[in-house]
Amino acid sequence: MTFRSQNLILPEGASTLIQKLINERTGMFFDNGKRDLLLDKLSPLVIERGFSSYLDYYYLLKYDEAARSEWQNVMNALSVQETYFWREIDQVRALVQTLLPQCYARNPRSTLRIWSAACATGEEPLTIAMALNEAGWFERASIEIVASDASSNAIDRAVRGVYKARAFRSLSTQLRDRYFEPEGADWRIRSDIHRRVKWTVANLMEEDQIAPLASADFIFCRNVFIYFSENAIRRAVHSFAKFIRSPGHLFIGAAESLIRLSTDFTLTEVDDAFVYVKREKVI
Amino acid sequence: MISTLPSIGVFTTNTDLVVQVWDAALARLTGISEESAAGRRLTVLLPDLEKRGLLKRFHRSLQDGVVEVLAPAFHHYLIPCAPVSPSEQFDKMQQRVTIAPLRDEESIAGLIVTIEDVTERLERERELATRLEEGDETTRLHAAETLSADAAFDTGPLLGALSDESWRVRRAAVTGMSQRAAPEAIAALLHSVVENHQNPSLLSSALQVLASSDVDTLSPLTQLLQSPDSDLRMQSALALGEQRDVRAAAGLINALQDDDANVRYHAIEALGKLKAVEAVEPLVEIAESRDFFLAFPALDALAKIGDARVAPRIVPLLEDDLLRVPAIGLFGQLGDETAVEPLTALLNTENAPTDSVAAALAELRDRYEEQYGEGDYIADLASRQISPTGVQNLLDALEEPGKESLRPLALVLGWLKRTGVERALTRLMGRNDLRDEIIDALVRHGSGTFDVLLPQLSAEDLEVRRSAVVALGRIGDARATPALVSVLDDESLAIEAANALAQIGDPQALDGLIELMGNHDASIRQAAASAINSLATPEISKRIIPRLHDPDPNVRESAVKIAGYFGYPEAAGALLTLSSDPVERVRCAAIEHLPFVEDDRALEILTHAIREETPAVRAAAARALSNVDAPEAVRHLIDGLFADDVWVRYFSARALGRRRSPESVAALEKVIAEEKFNHVRIAALDSLGQIGSPHVAGIAAGLVRDDDPDVARAAQATLEKTGQ
Repeated sequence: MTFRSQNLILPEGASTLIQKLINERTGMFFDNGKRDLLLDKLSPLVIERGFSSYLDYYYLLKYDEAARSEWQNVMNALSVQETYFWREIDQVRALVQTLLPQCYARNPRSTLRIWSAACATGEEPLTIAMALNEAGWFERASIEIVASDASSNAIDRAVRGVYKARAFRSLSTQLRDRYFEPEGADWRIRSDIHRRVKWTVANLMEEDQIAPLASADFIFCRNVFIYFSENAIRRAVHSFAKFIRSPGHLFIGAAESLIRLSTDFTLTEVDDAFVYVKREKVI
Repeated sequence: MISTLPSIGVFTTNTDLVVQVWDAALARLTGISEESAAGRRLTVLLPDLEKRGLLKRFHRSLQDGVVEVLAPAFHHYLIPCAPVSPSEQFDKMQQRVTIAPLRDEESIAGLIVTIEDVTERLERERELATRLEEGDETTRLHAAETLSADAAFDTGPLLGALSDESWRVRRAAVTGMSQRAAPEAIAALLHSVVENHQNPSLLSSALQVLASSDVDTLSPLTQLLQSPDSDLRMQSALALGEQRDVRAAAGLINALQDDDANVRYHAIEALGKLKAVEAVEPLVEIAESRDFFLAFPALDALAKIGDARVAPRIVPLLEDDLLRVPAIGLFGQLGDETAVEPLTALLNTENAPTDSVAAALAELRDRYEEQYGEGDYIADLASRQISPTGVQNLLDALEEPGKESLRPLALVLGWLKRTGVERALTRLMGRNDLRDEIIDALVRHGSGTFDVLLPQLSAEDLEVRRSAVVALGRIGDARATPALVSVLDDESLAIEAANALAQIGDPQALDGLIELMGNHDASIRQAAASAINSLATPEISKRIIPRLHDPDPNVRESAVKIAGYFGYPEAAGALLTLSSDPVERVRCAAIEHLPFVEDDRALEILTHAIREETPAVRAAAARALSNVDAPEAVRHLIDGLFADDVWVRYFSARALGRRRSPESVAALEKVIAEEKFNHVRIAALDSLGQIGSPHVAGIAAGLVRDDDPDVARAAQATLEKTGQ
């Protein structure tokens, strides 16, 4: 198969260099079967830069001192933003009904922090906020929800707080009507719930970016590791373990697993949901 | 050899370092009986193991699977015990110890440890070493020859003798160093293997130990094939296959006559692993015998050996219900064009093993394509011989659920221009794993697939629509133009549709493509401009030149790329003007296309731009100057090598390579030596290679071990291009 942008030059070996660099900097892993997809997604960026060769663009990303903003374009081009409210709700339920109450009982005066580490356009942290609100936790405890994503486009959309009908495929109409206001064909999140979440851009491969966020009691990092290489997952999870509060809990997606990796977390089951708990001692 | 009294003892442990096997030789050497050792933890048996720093070596072997050797010169012994014979120099037995993992399938199940009593040898070695240092030439020569003749002696004293003042002593030392092997050690170890062969992991681990010593294991293993013990013969056959040494073939061929079927089975497998051509005849005979237990591995071994001459002998096996599938597989792996006939004959029967035959034909075709570029020859042969029954078998197999791969079926069907085939193939168009095969097949069918493909342009599945667009473009029939133009509105397919229209080259597509010139997506604009450039109709200039003045910068930029590509004389003035357009992107496009404009002012604008413009436009000017004939362009590009913007430097370096300007060699060499950014250095190195600088090989050789892998890779590529 030839990739779509046949008008760009792809010198021998350049695609491998790009695949490796993208993996190293973003964690995302495009194997050879997805090589054309990667090149297609990057092609507008290559052309916008005025380059005619992918190799020139590789050098830009790797060497140019001003490439930081270009990496944001890459993240925006490659990130997958398909998600919805109330997705994999068992884990959120375990948080609200069991884990957060336990945490609160241990430290009733401290602020409990929840970090949604790959929040895409915001559906996950808003789901958590709605669930906590339904259980009345915002009145009982001081809770901070922080949400981040590597794509600035995704965070911009999360900050706008307006969602299309597809995002409500798992949310009951009752909850939708309670927490959203119609805006044309779309829906806007209620401002008091939206304000509960602090939004920011962060790359899971950059420890200095995630360190202040990972100092949390609960980390949700769901449906992102399926796009990562094993090494990248290991790096991200190691950073989580380094900064998460004790005893910290990590939630990952149902299709993901850390079992094959040696990590600082142990798998446990809470209220029919799988949750990883930080081991006592980081090796 | 095997009967030699061993000076090597062996013990094994489990992963907790509890002793499992403690052989008789070790009991004799150490005085510790098997009863008192077996079942005890090593750290209990040898309490100072950790204190002496040896325990970690055992753990390393267990954890990392590595072979550890405790040299007597450093560690002296593992098990403290008196020497077997009294020694003047040593109160404890000196031991050479090898610790190797004991494997059970994929995991490490424990350790195998060999302990060699080297006391006498060390004593003698010390004595000879003293003579080597202190004696006269005759004494030294005798000592050197003695040390050389016995490979069991350590090489240390011989190393010193390599610089002896006497050439005779030096020669003896060299001879000894180059003939190091330890046949006695093998014999002793194998003796232990014979005694303990009921432990199935022991032999392979023992071989691992021996392999780490670079010794020849072939002869003793071949001897073991004659052992009265059938288990041992079987293990030897297995091990000989693993050794990958073709000299083992003769012994293994003899083993095909072994009374024990298990030995024969492992000998067959081993011959396959060795790719032993001399075993083909006996292996074919085994296959022909249709012995259910042995014919399968024989066919597998024949496939591995890969001698195509056996194919005619295998044809009768296609009628054997049990051996049919491996026989078909064998044809796929090693058959030539004569294999097509029996395979298709089988396919044309009722209840044919369709999947296996299709897989074999596909494999045969792929191999011909890869080796000779003649895959189509196999496809043509097969398509002529497949009957309507064969076609129906293929179509039926395509419908069966739960298949791991449909590629062979899709590929073989793609060879056939028969009714119903095209429709069957289009049903698979949405599958990414089959896309190339399906498109190739439909393209091969040509315009005849029109009626099937056109409706797919409005299929619900995006991948189906994408495949249909690509196939229609490759077929190149202008009747598809209106349908493809209508697809241009769909942004997810606009690039493929523009590419397809470019391949067809029908001027009717012009209006639709012009609509895309202002698209927000740079890739789509680029695809549209390229497609328009392929239409080659006089209508283009009339429609494009006015758009050089369009208020939308996207349209102006696209128009520049098209007008510049064709070099319309009537567009020259506008292109010169657009080189100072307020939008940087448009200026870049205009600058890059100025070399194709016949106007004397173009060079002046470019040389001004590379010095005075914004960094992006200056970089564009550097790229453009690679296409300017005027010699003074080189001077400006050399200046560009030292510009303050890194991309101007990068593209200047690239441009000088493209121009093959010998006068730029010194400047490019300076860039490689002094430039801060490695991609600029790489560009300069590439360009020196293109120019053919006499120094380039030397410069590249100095960079092949650069810390930056990109630089090292570029240096390696340059060396290869220069034939170094």
